[in-house]
Amino acid sequence: MAQLVLDVAGISKRYGDVEVLRDVSFQVGKGETVCVLGPSGSGKSTLLRCINWLERPDAGQIYLNGAQVGITGGGLVMGDRDLSRIRTRIGMVFQHFALWPHLTVLQNLMEAPVQVQKRDKAEVRDEALALLAKVGLSEKRDSFPAKLSGGQKQRVGIARALAMRPDLLLFDEPTSALDPELVGEVLVVMRDLARDGMTMVIVTHEMGFAREAATRVLFLDHGRAVETGSPERFFSNPETERARQFLQRYAGDAAGGRR
Amino acid sequence: MSGGDIAAIFQGAIVTVTLSLIGILIGLPIGLGLALLRWANVPVLARIVALYVSVSRATPLVTLLLLLFFALPNIGVPVSPTSAAVLALVMNTSAFNCEVWRSALANFPKDQYEAAQSVGMRAGLRFRRIVLPQIVRVSLPGLVNEMSMLIKATPALAVVGVVDITRAAVRIGAQTYKPLPPFLVAIALYVPIVFVLVSLQRWIERRQLAAKVAA
Repeated sequence: MAQLVLDVAGISKRYGDVEVLRDVSFQVGKGETVCVLGPSGSGKSTLLRCINWLERPDAGQIYLNGAQVGITGGGLVMGDRDLSRIRTRIGMVFQHFALWPHLTVLQNLMEAPVQVQKRDKAEVRDEALALLAKVGLSEKRDSFPAKLSGGQKQRVGIARALAMRPDLLLFDEPTSALDPELVGEVLVVMRDLARDGMTMVIVTHEMGFAREAATRVLFLDHGRAVETGSPERFFSNPETERARQFLQRYAGDAAGGRR
Repeated sequence: MSGGDIAAIFQGAIVTVTLSLIGILIGLPIGLGLALLRWANVPVLARIVALYVSVSRATPLVTLLLLLFFALPNIGVPVSPTSAAVLALVMNTSAFNCEVWRSALANFPKDQYEAAQSVGMRAGLRFRRIVLPQIVRVSLPGLVNEMSMLIKATPALAVVGVVDITRAAVRIGAQTYKPLPPFLVAIALYVPIVFVLVSLQRWIERRQLAAKVAA
């Protein structure tokens, strides 16, 4: 594996009596695109949210570029300051976009690089404009999010995360809230990122995308990492019965390669 | 009604406006602070705030004022009528403001907040740059409404001897045996005071709308 970016080691999480994640481990190397697949309620989103500590795992460790996330060198739970510093390295794209509605598209992109990273405003602006061009939304830079379609909002969401120059990008079902005809434009952007070597962990139900763009898939079931491997192997010849059943339900999608 | 009488009512208007303004300017941020304590669910403090707000909202302003004015000297805190009046106004309005802010905070979309966390914004920055600009917009009508209620509650301050618009009018009516003119003057003064507030709200809303349309 290339240089290790993310190391998830034995993460567990429970809500009351429900064990959402059970001892989940996986690693992501630089430039990899790992798609996390699994039935609804299998813990995919929770796993993703544990990586940047939006959810606090009950057990296990997470390392980003070798540094532990959420726990200080002294073994204490990190405060707001330390956690925030690490989060600047981990971008996140949300299912419902989560753009800031009181800011324009360009302001959404510039907010954190200027306010958090204290980078030069003119430089951030140039970079933000380049990112908007990359996601095909240059002409929307002064629009407010309310004026955008779902697909456009999500592309802004991706550009906003990229504006921080993160080492790792997390996607939480980025196309699940979109009308079917808008899914494609978001997947195109994500595929470009994969091709450019962005390191990504993507929770998705888009089997066609996972098959084509993932370097590896991770299959979760009932909070366990049941299977991991190359998309070719996983989709054509899954090891476990659970994965087989899961894929059968998506057979139409995967074969049709929904765009 | 003599010119001196009219001047007396204007004097009352200055008292009304000054005390209301002080009450608003102090009560507004305190209300926000209380709402934040409840929003963040700070242990113990959140409970105390909840109790404080319930009691303050349930207590009539007159009763609260009388309590402060007569009880505080009893426990060794001397208060003038004016300071008791300001204290009562602040306690009253901060409790109502707290509820307005709190409902805006409670309805604030969680994922927007998480998006701010995910780009590494610290708590202060998240609040100042992402939450506050939006809850101000949502809360504004409720807050302005509460401000105008506060202004209209100021005649209650007369019970401890504060001479506001209404108290001045009552006095003149009693002296001249012609209550109609002073009360008409009084109402003529309340209307523009509240109107200024409502205009301010409209102006802010229009500016926000203009910013959106321009985009």
